[in-house]
Amino acid sequence: MPTARNRKNLNPKLDFIAVMLFSVLVLFGFLNIYSASSGTQPVFQLSMKQVYTKQLIWMAGAFLLIVLVAFSNPNFFEFTGYIFYGITVVLCLAVLFVGRKVSGAQSWFGFGGIGIQPSEFAKFGTALALAKFLGTYGVRFKGWKNIGISLAIFLIPMAIVLKQNDTGSALVFLSFFLVLYREGLPGYFLLGAVWLGILAVLTIVLLAYKLSLITWIVIPLTGIALLLLYLFRKSRFWMGIIVGFVLFSWVFTRLVSFTYKTVLYDYQRDRIEIILGLKKDDKGVGFNLIQSKIAIGAGRWTGRGFLEGTQTKMGFVPEQHTDFIFCTIGEEWGFAGVLLFLAVYLGLLFRLVMLAERQTTNFGRVLGYSVTSILFFHLCINIGMTIGLVPIIGIPLPFVSFGGSSLWAFTLLLFTFLKVDERRLSYA
Amino acid sequence: MNPLSNRRYAFFFMFAFIGVIFVVRIFSLQVLDEGNYKRAVNNALKKITIYPSRGIIYDRHGKLLVYNGPVYDLIVFPGELKGIDTGGLCTLLHMDRREFDKKLEQARIKARTQRRRDNSFNKSATFLPNLPLADYTRIQENLYRYKGFYLEQKTDRLYGNEAAAHLVGYIGEVTEKMLAQDAYYKNGDLAGITGIERGYEKYLRGKKGVRTVLQDRFYTEKGSAEGGRFDSSALAGPDIYCSIDLSLQQFGEQLLQGRIGSIVAIEPSTGEILALINKPDYRPDLLIGPNRNRHFQELITNPGKPLYNRAIRGVYPPGSTFKPVIALIARQEEVLSPATTHGCAGGYHMGSLTVGCHPHFSPTNLAQSLAISCNAYYCQVFRDIIDNPNYGNVRNGWSRLETYLRSFGLGSRLGMDIPGEVSGNIPTLSYLDKRHGNKWRSSTIISLAIGQGEILLTPLQMANVATIIANRGFYYTPHAIHGIGTQMFKPESLRTLHRTMVDTVYFESIIEGMADVMQPGGTAWASAISSIPMCGKTGTSQNPHGEDHSLFIGFAPRINPKIAIAVVVENAGYGATWAAPIATLMMEHYLKGSQAATEAPHLLKKLNVVPETHADSTQQKKP
Ligand SMILES: [Zn+2]
Repeated sequence: MPTARNRKNLNPKLDFIAVMLFSVLVLFGFLNIYSASSGTQPVFQLSMKQVYTKQLIWMAGAFLLIVLVAFSNPNFFEFTGYIFYGITVVLCLAVLFVGRKVSGAQSWFGFGGIGIQPSEFAKFGTALALAKFLGTYGVRFKGWKNIGISLAIFLIPMAIVLKQNDTGSALVFLSFFLVLYREGLPGYFLLGAVWLGILAVLTIVLLAYKLSLITWIVIPLTGIALLLLYLFRKSRFWMGIIVGFVLFSWVFTRLVSFTYKTVLYDYQRDRIEIILGLKKDDKGVGFNLIQSKIAIGAGRWTGRGFLEGTQTKMGFVPEQHTDFIFCTIGEEWGFAGVLLFLAVYLGLLFRLVMLAERQTTNFGRVLGYSVTSILFFHLCINIGMTIGLVPIIGIPLPFVSFGGSSLWAFTLLLFTFLKVDERRLSYA
Repeated sequence: MNPLSNRRYAFFFMFAFIGVIFVVRIFSLQVLDEGNYKRAVNNALKKITIYPSRGIIYDRHGKLLVYNGPVYDLIVFPGELKGIDTGGLCTLLHMDRREFDKKLEQARIKARTQRRRDNSFNKSATFLPNLPLADYTRIQENLYRYKGFYLEQKTDRLYGNEAAAHLVGYIGEVTEKMLAQDAYYKNGDLAGITGIERGYEKYLRGKKGVRTVLQDRFYTEKGSAEGGRFDSSALAGPDIYCSIDLSLQQFGEQLLQGRIGSIVAIEPSTGEILALINKPDYRPDLLIGPNRNRHFQELITNPGKPLYNRAIRGVYPPGSTFKPVIALIARQEEVLSPATTHGCAGGYHMGSLTVGCHPHFSPTNLAQSLAISCNAYYCQVFRDIIDNPNYGNVRNGWSRLETYLRSFGLGSRLGMDIPGEVSGNIPTLSYLDKRHGNKWRSSTIISLAIGQGEILLTPLQMANVATIIANRGFYYTPHAIHGIGTQMFKPESLRTLHRTMVDTVYFESIIEGMADVMQPGGTAWASAISSIPMCGKTGTSQNPHGEDHSLFIGFAPRINPKIAIAVVVENAGYGATWAAPIATLMMEHYLKGSQAATEAPHLLKKLNVVPETHADSTQQKKP
């Protein structure tokens, strides 16, 4: 007779809602990949030449992963957190030297015809490591040492991925700031980040129009600061804050302007300027964005129908089955389809936050928020870029875009958390 | 509960916030902006051009000059190419692999440019332009095997006649500049480059039609898009009746054969150009077909400049043909009357200055001065005009004279309807200052009196001067068309009368002198055709680079003239020698009709011309 504990392992009770929403996204993703990639082939055929056949194989692999995770001991992930983290970070480093270059980024391992992108798995490793660190008995998100270690855990892999020239994947690591926020990072840090974002955009706009940073940023800022200094003249504390704030803003502006002028490549500058509406370019980078918007717009209320989208099927939209898969959804399923799709996706995120909040361990909660934040960040950037709200940064739409590494990494991420969530039941 | 737990609501808020932003944005893209749908549909359409037939060009009597024949462009849709048998296609097109790859790469670039310009997807580019019918048949039979390649029919020119090459002009592939200026054109189109083909391009080209084909994702045609709502049929360009008289044109080309020069004949009552002849010229059929570019290179590098339309681009000092103009202005200014006499002692002498003249009786009156072309007479008349005390000084005098000359259409483009015309030169005050310093006097510029020096006219302007005199004071802008289409339409600008500053009453005394030119004792007496009362003026244009140019202007008949003419024969010496007989034979030919034999065969013989058109009559004379 198996014990009650053992019976649970043989009979996993993963959160039903989350699993259903996940399944819907993966299957719907496959339909759209099939539509986008079957362009010049008339019939469904199980040939390895077909993109969608590959995706079927990735999906089968993902299913195996799910089974593996479901029948594993959830404590395994907590124990091996640092080890897994170490392995993925080393792989990310290794790929810098022996990896393959794909569209400018040195981020792939090639095995025959199959590519593996370790940076996708590094998110998983980082999530585990951060969860384990903050879940350690007695460690709380306080004190310079703990804060420093928490930051280092995700900023190190981020720096390595940045070195791989894969800006999009590197930016994803910023989503861990959201996790830290939940764990006690003061809210003004996030407000500060928003302020820096505004400042960065303002600086780039001024640079693009060749206007003086002194006239438009320093002088107004100093003016406001002087006024505030007068108002708060009785509080040394606030006066210090104000002076620090102005100095920091100015240094940051200089930093942005330096990065923008000398660090970024021309194509990166172009993308940023086009997205900010500073540059009208229907030919180069802008062509992709225009075609992407036309594709989505062509869907109207109810879409043009499955397999009927000419924009995505005839190759107007770049990378239509990977990063631009949302174009196919928009074109073939229309506004109604998009609404449903967003509802499912955001529903999954809501559900994950609820699951994370019901965790009894810090490890489970931090892992849950890591999963949620990474997915949320991907969703914002990916859809945002296809509809022209953020620069075109090549990152996939989790569960939906074509690609083995990303599908497996996100599946692993999600189901590890769901497995950890299931463990909670056994303590109850 | 941990108070940080409340931060979950910040997450919920973020999700909802982003969700709302996305929904609003996507709603505006999908539902509010209807253009995206149209753009997507348009992207997926394949447009196949239907070329109209180009307007045919006839002479003024309806004789065929230029018509159309089919030629074919092999076009390629680079987007559709996939796994075609390149080797087989190379064999079919008679080209090697390297040439094929090069042409395909060029086509890809062109198609990409076009695609980005139109922001659409499936764009074609010309792969091999202007294939003749024979190639078409061969390729068409096998082309179905090569997906992505198509043949498009368009029309190239064929010539019913080799005459009037410069006036008719030629067509060629549109230039980058034309592509940029006019969205009507696409790469590989044929359009007028010179002559009437260019000047009336907007009429002749007609209107292209388009067949829009809906394609599915396999590039298979699925019939007309939206039931043919986007389709339009091609509209043929209207025919043009050009103003030349083909028989006169051919006769003139024969007369000028082997020489360098120009003939321009104008119908005075309308301004229509009856003949426009340049030698050397070229065979127009060299500039059609697949070898047009090679032939063009040969012609453009030919030292004889066969492409040069010297009738409207060449400039010459008018020499003595300018004297009637000076006389007319002097009459209007009332410093000259028909009875005015001036002496001539072998020329005009003034201090150290001498303008030479040939020996003749002296003194002469106005008519006599024209008939024998006395230089001294016109030096005096010229000074009477610009040194007229009424104007105070010579500068004002010259300005007055210049204004008169410009009213004759000199010193600026006449505005002819075919491109390339130049303005010639009538010196302005500042021009003279630059040339002679500020201290010039009438004696400094005395050579202008006899049409030498800085005055330059095109043969077209000379013919227009003859037209003005024939009309007794007015002209219409010379033009190359008789009418467009069946309605014989002619633009308003060509029907506008331009009046000179010399009144009609002053012309008769000058015409009297020009008639005397053709009488015994006149400079062109040897070239006279006795049955037709002609008026004319010989001239010799000083040429610093070699032998002088021989000039003649004239019109006939004297009353109610039907033809005005200017003849320039380069490096041929006195006007009386070569230009005058050519002009009188031309006028006779036009007035008597092409069938009549000339009554001056000695002139033909002198010009060394065997009269082809009169072959019948000479045969009859043989026993
Ligand atoms: Zn004389």
